[in-house]
Formats: sequence, structure tokens, C-alpha cells
Amino acid sequence: MVDTFSWWGIFSAIGVLTGIGITFGALLGMASVRFKGEENPLVEQIDALLPQTQCGQCGYPGCRPYAEAINQGDALNKCPPGGEATIHALADLLGREPAPLDGEASSEDTVAFIREAECIGCTKCIQACPVDAIIGAAKQMHTVIEDECTGCDLCVAPCPVDCIDMLPRAKPLNQWQPVINPSPLIASDRQPSRSEHARL
Amino acid sequence: MPDYNFPGGITPPDRKERSNQSPLRTATLPISVVLPLKQHSGSAALPVVNIGDTVRVGNLLAQRDGMVSANLHASVSGTVTHISDSTITIEADGQDQWQLLPPLDWRTAANEMLVERLDTCGLTGLGGAGFPTYIKAQVAKHHSIDTLVVNAAECEPYITADDLTLRYYANDVLEGAQLIAKLCGAEQIVVGIEDNKPQAIGALKAALPHYQQPTGITLKVIETRYPSGGERQLIKKLLNRDIPSGGLPGDIGALCHNPGTLLAALYAVRDGKPLVERIVTLTGDAINAPGNYWVRLGTPIKALLAHAGLETKHLHQVIVGGPMMGTPLTTLDAPVTKTTNCLIAATYEELPPAPSETPCIRCGACESVCPVQLLPQQLHWYARAATDDALEKLHLFDCIECDACSFVCPSHIPLVQDYRAAKQRIRLKRIETAKADHAKHRFEFRQARLAREEAEKQARRQARLAQKHQPSSNSPPSGSVTPTADLRSLRIAQTAAKAAVKKAEKVLARAAEQDPHQRHDDLETQLATAQENLKAADARLAEARAAAPKKETP
Repeated sequence: MVDTFSWWGIFSAIGVLTGIGITFGALLGMASVRFKGEENPLVEQIDALLPQTQCGQCGYPGCRPYAEAINQGDALNKCPPGGEATIHALADLLGREPAPLDGEASSEDTVAFIREAECIGCTKCIQACPVDAIIGAAKQMHTVIEDECTGCDLCVAPCPVDCIDMLPRAKPLNQWQPVINPSPLIASDRQPSRSEHARL
Repeated sequence: MPDYNFPGGITPPDRKERSNQSPLRTATLPISVVLPLKQHSGSAALPVVNIGDTVRVGNLLAQRDGMVSANLHASVSGTVTHISDSTITIEADGQDQWQLLPPLDWRTAANEMLVERLDTCGLTGLGGAGFPTYIKAQVAKHHSIDTLVVNAAECEPYITADDLTLRYYANDVLEGAQLIAKLCGAEQIVVGIEDNKPQAIGALKAALPHYQQPTGITLKVIETRYPSGGERQLIKKLLNRDIPSGGLPGDIGALCHNPGTLLAALYAVRDGKPLVERIVTLTGDAINAPGNYWVRLGTPIKALLAHAGLETKHLHQVIVGGPMMGTPLTTLDAPVTKTTNCLIAATYEELPPAPSETPCIRCGACESVCPVQLLPQQLHWYARAATDDALEKLHLFDCIECDACSFVCPSHIPLVQDYRAAKQRIRLKRIETAKADHAKHRFEFRQARLAREEAEKQARRQARLAQKHQPSSNSPPSGSVTPTADLRSLRIAQTAAKAAVKKAEKVLARAAEQDPHQRHDDLETQLATAQENLKAADARLAEARAAAPKKETP
């Protein structure tokens, strides 16, 4: 027993392990500085999943602040324009439980429209627009750039003469989606197939 | 006969004899035509005529909008009666008066003039995708092309439009090929044709010796196998070159054109004739006079089929295109467009509806016939589950939608239908992501602008305050004491903002260099945002500097 135990052995082992620890610690430290990857913090990833309408319906002044709030632990279900899809994507990213949407989901894509005859040129909607999609000047008629409008509704409330409407957005042909009815899985559910094709 | 081969493929019954026995005929002039503004890939053309205008055949109706788009011309002479968001309607006057452009000699004319002519004549590929021809003619700007492939394979059952084009106009098609070869700088022309078209091959063989100048033409007869008429498949078969995934034939020095397109290109240049008519195969058991017809664009399909002797009581469905890749029509009011190569009026017995689908049994038949070597079965599962990431990883966008997998599927699963839907879904998602990014950048720009305005306002107020206090006394104002540490952090912020501007400028310059024709609105917005941030930092720094010396001079 006496042969196997020696203070020298213990100290040398501690010394060697400490040395290894310090060496590798230094190496890892250097590597983390030297090979620092492209920064992509969680906030960026959350922000990328939000629909960027900047509507403020979540209670924050834009998508980015809401992304920061989610990162701080705020609920995922405050984004009506994103709807269920966004909630699920966020839940997947953050490993949290998806919750039902807080508030009413917007049923369709809308765009703001100013009834130009009634516009008094007060510029209040211009100040409210988060994406600078309204052009005009004081006492001049205003109008909405349709392509830039995100349909966030923020210009509707400030208008003193209520001349802004939210209209459904026209869908271009290249965004058309085929309607596919999933076929019934159980053979007995099937109807004899009827032809939907043209007859003269 | 070359030994090269593309993987997979099937041999469906070709049923071409129904339409290739009769001579090429000209359809009667329609009473009215409906011309869609988007008959090509890319964006729709913009109308340049008004309701009530009198037009002649070949008059410009709509101008192309952007690079990938094509002009549209009147296909009958008469009066414009209706212009909607997507179509222009002309009532014909029966006179059929033409308005032709001055003829050009392609051998002597400059390439720019020829390309401009193809552009003004609204030429698009007549094979199916409808890609504007003038862009393809300029492919030599980006890629060096050595071979022009004339795609006369026409592998799909029923269709015989290219077959008849070659029988009647072999000389003109070869001359058109010479014209396009001159434009793209090809050193050789290869005509690929399937061996089930002996008469077209005979016509080509007779014409070939007369058209070997300035570019040599070779004829390659290939075995009949679907889908050898696919661009990638034909190039593999003829030249043994593989187009990389997501690439174009131009990447490997080849360019593919349909005989009909070459014919139309020659007519546009030699005769100054815009694209207003094309050869359409009318076939199927439900019509009495099947065959190929010269048809004016915009002719209503109903009138055209009636002209070919449609038997309404036997008709089950009308398919535009071939039976494999075509689309069944739900209404016969649709017009003939630049990409309509075939109309099949089928009886129930001829093309019965597919039996109801049953679950996939993982037999793997689809994989063995896929000409692009995809995994149709995996794509099927992921497409049904809407797992879009996995679909993109499995190269869904390389699928040419040839329908070979659905053809062999023992469970009758409409595989290609699922793939098309999935592709459209993914495309829509991309558009939405791009839109969200765009809105985000505009929002950031606005935030930066507001911050800059605020900082400048602050700086101006500071300057006013300083002016007011200087003449009266040198004592520092008690309220606006700025610590030097703040000054340093502001300086750091200014340097960071400068770096951000430089970076944004660099990114924009690089993008502009790579894609000079594209607009980089988003990158420009980002640059403007960085500039606004820099101005704000400058203003804050100036403000702090204005306040700082007063603290040091007691």
C-alpha cells in the first residue's frame, strides 16, 4: 500500500490535469475568438418568422420589438397577421408549447385605400404609416402605394374624416394556388368519380 | 444512333396516326378573338390600344412589361371591343388586312437588329413553356454556346404539330435554325427527332444538304421513348451532357429550340410577320376531321373544335397539350394561345378518368421511370405532409412534371398534381418572405430617418442655446453638461455607422455587378438606412461636441 501512495504522485496528477485544462481552455478560448461565426442571435431568427407588417397589434411598436420581447419570455400568440402558422413556427424554434391566437386572425390580405375626394390633407396617416407607404403633403391629397402597404390598419384610426378603407388585396395570377381535395383514405368513403370536365 | 441515354422514361401508346395522316390545313378565320395578355412566362403585357380602335393583323396590342415578357399583336383585323385585366377582345371584320414589318435579311443584318425584331414580333417558345425568344437569342452574352439543338422529338402521345411543321416547312425550319445559331454563336446545329416520324425525317434529309451554311447541321434520329423531348433529356441523349440541378442548357453550352419557334423566328425576320398564328394539332376520337391546322391566336377553342367536326355527344373531356403533361379544360370558352400545341377532344373510352387512388404500396416503380432521377415516392409523402424543407432538399424544383411516375403508379396516385401544388405553395411562400423582408427594410429605414431627424433637431437646439449664452457670459449652461465618456461612445457609434454604410455600399455594388439588369430596391433601402444612421450619429456627435468645450472652459 505504501508503495502505491505517494504525495508526489497526487501532486503530479493534479499538476498534469490542471495543465491540460489550462492548455485546452486557452485553445478553445482562442478558437472562439479566431473562428467567430456569423452572428445570428435568437432575436434575428424570431424576427425572420414574424410577418413584418409592423402593425403593432401585439402591443409593441413593430415586429422587431416583439421579437425582442419574445426572446425575453413574452407569449408567442400575439401576432394576428401571422396567425397559427407563425405561432407554430415560433413554437418550433423556441421549443415552447404553441398557444391559440390571442385576438382575431385577419381573414384576408388587405390594402389601405384613401377615398381621395374626402381627404383633407392632414398628413396624420402619413405619420402613422410604419413603412412609408402613403405619399402626400399638408393640404394636398394623399394616396397609398399599394405595393408597399402591409395592410396593418394603423392609418385608419388617426384619419379625422374616416376616408381610409381597408380593401381586400387583388391576387395576381402568379400567386394562384390550386385547390386540391384530399382523397378519402377509406375505400368505402369513395363516391363514384364524376367528371368535372367540359361538355359542350 | 448515339449510345447515350437518359435514365428512366416510359413508352406509352403514341396514337399519333389519328392526326398525322391528313395534310396541314388552315382553320377558318374566327369571328372574334380573345387574346390573353399573358401567353408567355413572366409578367403580363400592358395594353396599348383602346376600346373601339381599328386594328389590322400584326398591329401591336400590348407592350411587354419588363425583361421576361412578350409583345402581343392582333391576330385578326377588326375592332377592339373589350379590354379586361387579362384579355383583349377583337371583333373581326372579315377583311384580314395585314400590317407587316419591313423584311430583314438575317445573313447581313446586325445581331442587335435581329434580336430587336424577335422582341417586337412577340416571339415566344411554341413548345409549351412560352419563354420569350429574344432573351434566349441573347444567351451568348452570359454563356458561350457551341451547339443549337432543334428539339423535334415531340415525344408526347397525340401531338404531331412539329411533325407536320417539318414535313411542310423543313427548309424554313433549317433556315430559322441558321438564324438563331448566328445570334447565339453556335458552331453546330443538331436536330433531334424520334424515329416514329419517318416522313419528317425524309423531308429533313432532303433539305439538309442545302442548308449547311454558315453553320453545319447534323440530323440525329433517336428511339421513341417518353420524355425524350424534355430539354435536359434530349441534350443528354444527343450530346451526352448533363445540365446541373437548377441550371439551364446555357450552362453547358447548349441551346434548345422547337421547330415551330424557329419557323416563326424566320417569318418574323424574313417576312416581318409577328407571331399571330401557329400550328395546332386537333385530335381525339370525338372529332371527325383530326389533323393539324394553322390557327390564329385567340381563336375560341369551342369554335375551332366545331370547325374540325366535334361530336358533342361523344365528348368526354378536352385536354390542352398532350395527355401526359396537358391540362383538362373545365370550359371550352378558352382561346388558343402561343403555347397551345395540341387539343385533344377525347371520348370516355379513349381517355377514361383515372381510377380512385389507393394508398402507396412503396413498389418503387415511379423511381425507376423518373427521367430526372428524383425520388417520387419520398416527394409524394412530403408533398402530402407539406414538409417544404424536405421537398426542396429532394430537388422538387428539378421535377419536369413529365407524369411518367403517375403513369406507372399501380395505386393511381396523381403524383405530379401533388408536386405542382407543392411547387406553387413553395413559390408563394418565397414571395411572401420577400415581401416581409421588403416591409422590414422600409420599417427600419423609417425608424432610422425618425432617429436622424430627432438628433438633428436636438443638435440645432443645442447650437441655438450655445449662441444665446456665449455673448452674455462664458459660464457653462448647467443643464447641458455632457461627460467626455459619452463623447467617446458617440464617436464609436459614428465609426460603426460609417462601417455599416461602407458594408451596405459594397453589398449593393457586388449585387449590381452580378445582376446588372435586376433592380436592387431592398439593398438600396438598406444603404439608405445605414446612411440615415450615420447622419444621426454625426448630428449627435456634433451636438455633444458643441456642448463639451463649454465644460472645459470655466
